[in-house]
Amino acid sequence: MPTVTIDDKPCQAQIGETILQVARRNGFWIPTLCHHDALPSYAACRICVVEIDRGGWWQVVTSCNYPIRGDLTVRIDSERAIRGRRGVMQLLLARCPESVELARLAARMGVRSTPYPKVTEAQRNCILCGLCVRVCDELIGASAIARAGRGVERAIAAPFRMPSEDCIGCGACAAICPVGTIVVRMHEEEVEISPFKTRVKLKRCAACGEPIGSELVQQALARRGGPKVVELLAREEFCPRCKRKKLAKELTAAVPRAGSGQSVSQRS
Amino acid sequence: MSIVQTRLESVKDLESLRQRVLAEQDLIAHRVRVCLGSGCRAKGAPKVFERFRQAAAELGDASLVVQTKCTGCHGFCERGPIVVVDPGNIFYQNVREEDVPEIWRESAVGGRVVERLLYHDEETGKPATTCEAIPFYNAQHRIVLAHNGAIDPTRIEDYLAAGGYAALAKVLGTMEPDEVIDVITRSGLRGRGGGGFPTGRKWRSARDAPGEPTYVIANGDEGDPGAFMDCAIMEGVPHGVIEGMIIGAYAVGSSQGYIYVRNEYPLAVKHLSIAIEQVRELGLLGEDILGSGFCFDIRINRGAGAFVCGESTALMASLEGRVGEPRAKYIHTVESGLHEKPSLLNNVETWANVPHIILKGAKWFASFGTEKSKGTKVFSLVGNVKNTGLVEVRMGMTLREIIYGIGGGIRDGKAFKAVQTGGPSGGCIPAACLDEPVDFDRLTELGSMMGSGGMIVMDEETCMVNVAKYFLQFLRDESCGKCAPCREGTAQMLDVLTRITKGEGREGDVETLERLGELLEDTALCALGKTAAYPVLSTVRRFRDEYEAHVQRRQCPAKECPGLFRYEIDAETCTGCGLCRKKCPVEAITGERKAPHVIDPEICTDCGTCFDVCPFSAVIKV
Repeated sequence: MPTVTIDDKPCQAQIGETILQVARRNGFWIPTLCHHDALPSYAACRICVVEIDRGGWWQVVTSCNYPIRGDLTVRIDSERAIRGRRGVMQLLLARCPESVELARLAARMGVRSTPYPKVTEAQRNCILCGLCVRVCDELIGASAIARAGRGVERAIAAPFRMPSEDCIGCGACAAICPVGTIVVRMHEEEVEISPFKTRVKLKRCAACGEPIGSELVQQALARRGGPKVVELLAREEFCPRCKRKKLAKELTAAVPRAGSGQSVSQRS
Repeated sequence: MSIVQTRLESVKDLESLRQRVLAEQDLIAHRVRVCLGSGCRAKGAPKVFERFRQAAAELGDASLVVQTKCTGCHGFCERGPIVVVDPGNIFYQNVREEDVPEIWRESAVGGRVVERLLYHDEETGKPATTCEAIPFYNAQHRIVLAHNGAIDPTRIEDYLAAGGYAALAKVLGTMEPDEVIDVITRSGLRGRGGGGFPTGRKWRSARDAPGEPTYVIANGDEGDPGAFMDCAIMEGVPHGVIEGMIIGAYAVGSSQGYIYVRNEYPLAVKHLSIAIEQVRELGLLGEDILGSGFCFDIRINRGAGAFVCGESTALMASLEGRVGEPRAKYIHTVESGLHEKPSLLNNVETWANVPHIILKGAKWFASFGTEKSKGTKVFSLVGNVKNTGLVEVRMGMTLREIIYGIGGGIRDGKAFKAVQTGGPSGGCIPAACLDEPVDFDRLTELGSMMGSGGMIVMDEETCMVNVAKYFLQFLRDESCGKCAPCREGTAQMLDVLTRITKGEGREGDVETLERLGELLEDTALCALGKTAAYPVLSTVRRFRDEYEAHVQRRQCPAKECPGLFRYEIDAETCTGCGLCRKKCPVEAITGERKAPHVIDPEICTDCGTCFDVCPFSAVIKV
């Protein structure tokens, strides 16, 4: 089992783990933006750079995808690593000066402002980390959005920058967006994924009429999950509150003297 | 007409075919070779070639056979279209359509020399009959380009007659894969695409990498501004690249190869496609090549015009049909490349060196060059140099020998300022370093790099800040946009440079450029981003005074940046012709006829029209 020495602390690691995984397990904080545990590393934001000892010289690498192959000495706190991370953050702040989330992360990294002007035109606050595209493609399987354009022209969009026909309105892109750029808006009859202009039919709770999300999500889940999922989905006619109420009613009906409140809470 | 019809079953078959091709060639004594490389094409070579073909068709005398043949680039693009006539190997330059009847009558049929179309030495005025007598050629040493200009790239017979596929026969007939890798390793060949990684070591890693299949890839996605080495190789000797790849595939145990060539090189795509078709028919590609049991095939993939796809991982992503953007190379592509399989990627020029090394031996190849850079390197010599074109020189030749010896020095009697090597990510080398040898490590030490072989010569009137801005603009536009430092950093640097060249530079701008340059080098994802700041960093390092002149004094010492110098009329030289006064769009020029004119700096917009139109060079930049 290789030993990864991070800022002088020896840590046990598995072959194939990333520096980030080992560091986090051992209580170190490294900022990340384009990384998410549910997705393969992409290493685009470069905010997680650290320095590693290559035997006589030190190399700056991204911790989110540098694989452990043997003993390794890592410095998160070296001057060069900090300069690299802060430098990249300053560039991102220049791109997205209005993002509250980005400013919060910057502050935690010790960056209060950026010396650079805004020279790249972003979709509002988008840092192009690509998490939304990857979650939509690799986990949801909808591939509704993609990276369009090259370099400074790059943007995240559905084909031809038109509303997508493949979007199921699940909102995973919004949930994963680290800077709050993507938003799910509930309209009277539709769910809108902003800024992609995509709208899909809204599903409301069969009992109380509260909006509970997109209709297409259930269909997509049913397609992927088979009969068991379809059975479970039958419950999804209701909003979480009504679901709980309904379940409680069923349980109390079945067991008149409800002896175990614990089991109820577990099942909900 | 073709004598190439049947599949070759063995090395012996190949040799007997070669003998037949040679015997047929011996029958033809008169030959007209017209360069149809991209440079000569642009200058009207196809029409010249057509006229020769017509003349050949009209030739009544059955006792005389004159073969007209199109060839790849001869290299001396400055003097194109180029026509070479045999017997005598007579080298004609700047040939126009109307010159064809004379060359045909006098030279091709008559065997005499048409002196007015020969190259004349600039100093002595003496004509050079053959290319060997021209300084541009005689200091070169051609290995990769040896057959360029001699063979018709669309005829495999020509390549066979020049000894083509003999290296493959040698490998399949007598060598084990390990021996092949050993030869390449001992030759000291290093990657010609830019990185300069030892080729033999790469092949060894690819052979040893676990997993199969192993892919073999030729990188022909040359995209550096002003560079056309790989273009000329693919257009001129496509079989050389293919033969190298088959040998490489045998060495590393691959059965599938790809040539990734940019679609902006239609001729290269065409010639490679024809060549692949030809070798397939002969059985030099496909199943059981030359009866050895070895199977290999090649596919051509066309790049869609993204510079970044010349980067190996982006190229592989593009080959897989995904967006051409790079990924981290913490795990090398020889271990996990195309489709996450072991992949051996070499540049086109690297592949083209392989057959020569196999045939003539590692020792022979290693006898050229410096201690750590062996063999030759093809450069495209462009910019403010007299003889622009494609040159192949031994490693270790000095920049001075290349620029002044082969290139003939700077145009219009101006002074040399700098040479930019290594493509857009390379650096500028000043006059003080002209006697430095060209080799991988020395160029890196000088703050530049070998790159794939672009060599842009700049004269004293070139503004180095503007040069840096030009390359940075290119890189910003070609950045794929995946990683933040490259996408944002190049845009920020370009913003600073644009301000400086407009005279809006501020105190601390140069330091900002240096800081951003260092950040990019440390944190960008791929080689494009890591080296994107080099043109800026190297010009700041070598020409800091020019940056300071722009920022502090609002002056462009090279007088190139509009607004940072003024136009004036030299009263002594001005004849008072009035042309500038008439052409000035803002009526800033006044003066009586036949008396010196004056520019009113308050009205002048620095458009430069007067400078361009003055027939007496009386308008000067101050």
